[in-house]
Amino acid sequence: MSVATAEKQWQVAWVPVGLHHGTFVLLALLILVNAALTPNFATFATLWNLLLQAAPALLLGVGMTLVLATGGIDLSVGSAMALASVAAVLAIPHGTVAAMLAGLGTTLALGVINGSLIAHWEVSPFLATLATLITGRGLAQVMSRDGEVVPFSDPAFEALGQGRLGPVPVPVALAALTIGAGVFVVRATTWGRYLLAIGGNERAAYAAGVPVGRTGWIAYLVSAVLAGVAGLIETARLGATDPANIGAGAEFAAIAGAVIGGTSLRGGHARISGTAAGVLILVVISASFNMLGISYAWSMVLQAAIILTAAALQGRGSPGEGRA
Amino acid sequence: MSTCWGRRKFLQRLAAGALLLPGCRQSGGRLVVGFSQMDTGGAWRVAETRSMREAAAARGDRFRLLVTDAQDQTAKQLADVEDMIARRVTALFVAPREYEGLETVFAAARRVGIPVFLLDREAREPGTDYLTFIGSDFVAQGRQVAQWLVRHTGGQAAVVELTGTPGSSVARDRAAGFREGIAAAPGMRILAAQTASFSRAAGQRVMSNLVQAFGPRLTAVYAHNDEMALGAVQALRAAARRPGRDVTVVSVDGQRAALEAILRGELGATVESDPRLGPPAFAALEDHLSGKPVPPRLLLTDRLFDASNAARFIGQAY
Repeated sequence: MSVATAEKQWQVAWVPVGLHHGTFVLLALLILVNAALTPNFATFATLWNLLLQAAPALLLGVGMTLVLATGGIDLSVGSAMALASVAAVLAIPHGTVAAMLAGLGTTLALGVINGSLIAHWEVSPFLATLATLITGRGLAQVMSRDGEVVPFSDPAFEALGQGRLGPVPVPVALAALTIGAGVFVVRATTWGRYLLAIGGNERAAYAAGVPVGRTGWIAYLVSAVLAGVAGLIETARLGATDPANIGAGAEFAAIAGAVIGGTSLRGGHARISGTAAGVLILVVISASFNMLGISYAWSMVLQAAIILTAAALQGRGSPGEGRA
Repeated sequence: MSTCWGRRKFLQRLAAGALLLPGCRQSGGRLVVGFSQMDTGGAWRVAETRSMREAAAARGDRFRLLVTDAQDQTAKQLADVEDMIARRVTALFVAPREYEGLETVFAAARRVGIPVFLLDREAREPGTDYLTFIGSDFVAQGRQVAQWLVRHTGGQAAVVELTGTPGSSVARDRAAGFREGIAAAPGMRILAAQTASFSRAAGQRVMSNLVQAFGPRLTAVYAHNDEMALGAVQALRAAARRPGRDVTVVSVDGQRAALEAILRGELGATVESDPRLGPPAFAALEDHLSGKPVPPRLLLTDRLFDASNAARFIGQAY
């Protein structure tokens, strides 16, 4: 074995693993520091508050990780949240179930459009989902008369965002289930293996008989529908739809969470648990800066520094290795 | 009066190759005026745009209004205003996202003799870069809210402040006015001031963090707009602090949803910031066109709404 291969092996074996664990170490560290410094941080109320705030981004993060694994990207998730929100609130007069179906149906349609553009017309994922980001946000605002905030009152719908199962807020339970399902799908299903194969080397995957188009298509569908669920949760928490603001910039939180968690933008990786930790790191930073009374601008600086560090560490590993 | 886009005229201009040249100030014999709106998110902006459209429609025989939406981006607003100057509109109404980014286009408008009317957000030098400012006195709004809160709490309150978009003159002035208003009451303390960017979702998120940090110590919330206050009300309820009883919430804007919250007892007071700028804006334009002098600041009088009068005014709220 030559020195070069040995070094390569070392990187393959250790850099991603180190980064993967690094995410959890950093999260633990942030929590410990805050427990010591931030007043009232180490309480159950704060724990649930943090997880509740993270829940929509966690859902987006799972979908984004699957899409990133194929070597694609989904910029439209924030707009999908707004679309689901407006569609659901407009449908509330027809009942809670109809409202939720309207919300999810709209995002399903968005996912079909994204998937078709990318898989069948071979539009680059960045451009296709940038287009649906812009159209989706515009459409959401048009649907609510120029972007008006529309309040509603429907206790069953609001329970989706404000209810609890025992001590656990409903959105947190949904996020936890989704993360569990995501980890299972990537590790234990054929579709999960196809996903990583496409991201690793699309041509080789195609030659090996992987249904490239359909596999990627489903990833965008899942991403859009999870964004729909996140949009419904935000709407239920607010008791209103705010089409100009719901989900604005949410795609960045999801992408950043995934990158911090060790999922590469080059495809071939899908570290769902890492994404969850990455999203939580961002939420702990912004929430604790609020609680400490430090300007929001500084939390953005710290978040950016962590994202860059994670990206730089990833750059040293080679693409294509590592699984969930 | 000749029309600019009538078919005959259109063909003549096409033949002359002059279609894209400046000089098309009129449309169907009417004067074309531009309105550059910074964003259409939120009830306040929607009501402002609607008011401008209605005021223009009421003078439909004389004016035609072009409306652009900068979608909360200064760069887009810059381009929007440049486009309207290139079209040689008769006058420009601008609701600026931030004034500093627009100085160059205002200078360009002045060079070609297009008067600029600044709406709702003020800048430094009226009379040179723009003809007049039409809007509210944001410092006075903050002061009015503060004085109500001092009276209502007997001068004893620990306040959390949810501030607007950092750097905007509205946020700066509403913060300054509030501090003026509580200066004489030593029992009024500001525990924290954090931005929630004028949005309901951010108001809820930031407030839920602040409730965790301060717990029962916090007794009042001052939000720079109703949207953030309504988000804060949701966050307080989720943390089992009763808005209106355990914590007094006050804000600025006076939108319908806020008046409804006052009637439910969740919001203490809100100071109106009237978005209906269309009628005074067009009145100022007509004065200017007929040669009458226009004062450099046209300030609207803002009313305070609380439980004593909310029911009476809710029909007028936007």
